[in-house]
Amino acid sequence: MSEFKRQHPVAAITRSFELIRGNLITIVVFLILGAQREEFPFAWMFAGMFTLLLISGLISWWRFVYKVEEGELHIKRGLFVRKNLYLSSDRIQVIDFTAGIIQRMFGLVSVQIQTAGSTSREASLSAVTRKDADDLVLYLRKNQNGEEKPELDGEEVLMVHQNVKDDVLWRDFLPGKELIIAASTSGSFGIALSIILTLYSQLEPVISDTQFYEWVFDNLPAESDTSMIIGFIVAFIIISWLFSFFATIFTYGDFCLTTKKDEFVVTRGIFEKKRITIPFNRIQAVKITEGILRQPFGYATLSIESAGYGDQAGSGTLVLYPLIKKSAIPELFSRILPQYKDEIPSVKPPVRAARRYMFRNAAFFIILAAAGYILLDAPEWIALLAVPGLFWGWLKYRDAALACSKSLIIVRTRAIARNTTIMQRYRLQDMNLNQSFIQKWRDLITLNINVASGDHGYGVVLRDLDGELRQNLIEWMARNEVYTLPGIDEKSGKALPDFKTD
Amino acid sequence: MKKPPSKKITPRAIRVWQLGAAISNLFYFVAPAIYFSIFGHESYHFWVLIGITSVLIVYWFLGVLLIPYLRWKKWRYSYDQHEIDLKRGVIVTKRTLIPLSRVQHVDTRQGPLLRWYKLASVTISTAATTHEIPALDEDVANSVRDTISKFARLAEEDV
Repeated sequence: MSEFKRQHPVAAITRSFELIRGNLITIVVFLILGAQREEFPFAWMFAGMFTLLLISGLISWWRFVYKVEEGELHIKRGLFVRKNLYLSSDRIQVIDFTAGIIQRMFGLVSVQIQTAGSTSREASLSAVTRKDADDLVLYLRKNQNGEEKPELDGEEVLMVHQNVKDDVLWRDFLPGKELIIAASTSGSFGIALSIILTLYSQLEPVISDTQFYEWVFDNLPAESDTSMIIGFIVAFIIISWLFSFFATIFTYGDFCLTTKKDEFVVTRGIFEKKRITIPFNRIQAVKITEGILRQPFGYATLSIESAGYGDQAGSGTLVLYPLIKKSAIPELFSRILPQYKDEIPSVKPPVRAARRYMFRNAAFFIILAAAGYILLDAPEWIALLAVPGLFWGWLKYRDAALACSKSLIIVRTRAIARNTTIMQRYRLQDMNLNQSFIQKWRDLITLNINVASGDHGYGVVLRDLDGELRQNLIEWMARNEVYTLPGIDEKSGKALPDFKTD
Repeated sequence: MKKPPSKKITPRAIRVWQLGAAISNLFYFVAPAIYFSIFGHESYHFWVLIGITSVLIVYWFLGVLLIPYLRWKKWRYSYDQHEIDLKRGVIVTKRTLIPLSRVQHVDTRQGPLLRWYKLASVTISTAATTHEIPALDEDVANSVRDTISKFARLAEEDV
């Protein structure tokens, strides 16, 4: 492996697909605009674009070489600007394999290499044979243990894998039934909806040109405007629900969480098989998310924030349990995340904060209602729009809570889903206590803490806590051993209400 | 009992901020200029223009005369072996604690204005966030940077 090597030629194809995926919307718009002009041969354009993508894929495959020498992975890439990447094996923390549909057709895998920095995302190999990938792991990991790397044969590869198998402590799967529940309550409506809306907004000028609307108007059995609007909304919801249903099935199908001595390994995916390794010492926060569709059934999602792990978007969030009964969480914590398990009494924002929560939330709806009333001649009852806003604000107020123990801090907030974030004190990157002049008058403070996660960190904001807490939080952060929060009944050790890991 | 931070930043910061605000706030006057070029100054447009401009002028004077002074008055910082403590903010009072064991790097920065006044700002980066102590005397900034960086190296060992 001390010779420079190219990836498997399939890498050229996967690279082209990556380019298509990255510019999908532009391409679609371009194609549709092009299709309208009759003088421009559509087929030619399509072929031209395809060739262009294929050629750029080929070039990037041709110019991408790698080798391992003296325990160091060396990657050279780039057409005009040659980029040299050196990753020494003692800096490499994790090597993961992923296999997309194309890779699986050829028995290949793509390799992601993680170091502490974020540049390591550039150091992924997009298509190599399974054997090459195993060799790579063997070379880079062997050296990690300070051993000399011998010439390897098949038996040794097997041995390494058995070795890995031995320290498995737990394996957790996601049964089919739970996968279906997870998919149907996934509530990533928002994401699906925004995808549809973006597509729609890109296509809108084109569509109206092609008399699409007339066609819809003619064919819809709509008696009035209202029923048509409702029809549109229902169709939107159904489509985005299907979207998120299948997206969840494809992402979390075949899910397995393996707990080892010092790392988690998540394998998942139906078409694209992913393996993600997270060493325990990189976990920065544990997060329990209860989506609005899941909370009534007592279900939640358990995820972690990890430093260094970054998906394409640079976020460090990794789902450990796509769906879990909330009642099963304490048992699960003592099994796989013991250092995060603690039953701590919590404090809530004081009652005088409630109306700030409610009005802050209603403001948007009130503006919406006012705009509707003035601009669209909506009837007076549109003012009722503010009611869900107030209710939502009240929910946010009710769910906001904070708990600190000697080593942990737990913050519960609600955006749409209810989020409980559990962090260890020594993982906190900073603590901010802010107070606007209105808050000063009401003696309230806003707490904002940040942990490292992915490229940009992950922050939690808890608004309108009692101003009394300020000094206690500062002492807690400064590790002075004063960490009971005021508002907690000292005899029973319980605050109202009790919080536990829920 | 942890005390609020006590160190002040240099009073010359006021000058720098005043100068900076005087220049950058001028850009807001582009808004009435655009309004004028689109609608002219006939009938009620005249009063709209007068309104916008006078609000901007008041804002400009506040931004130049009052805010820099208040900002300087509110700014406090301190640091020891365990954490960096910052307190600032005119409308929103902000207090920030950064454990030294989390500090990734500290640097001093100088824009053209700061250099003219022989000042520098100290930037403290953690894995998640970046904080800044603006406008210290050059040599103070350098010693703050060196001390924090020394403390950070020591603190890393006792986590």
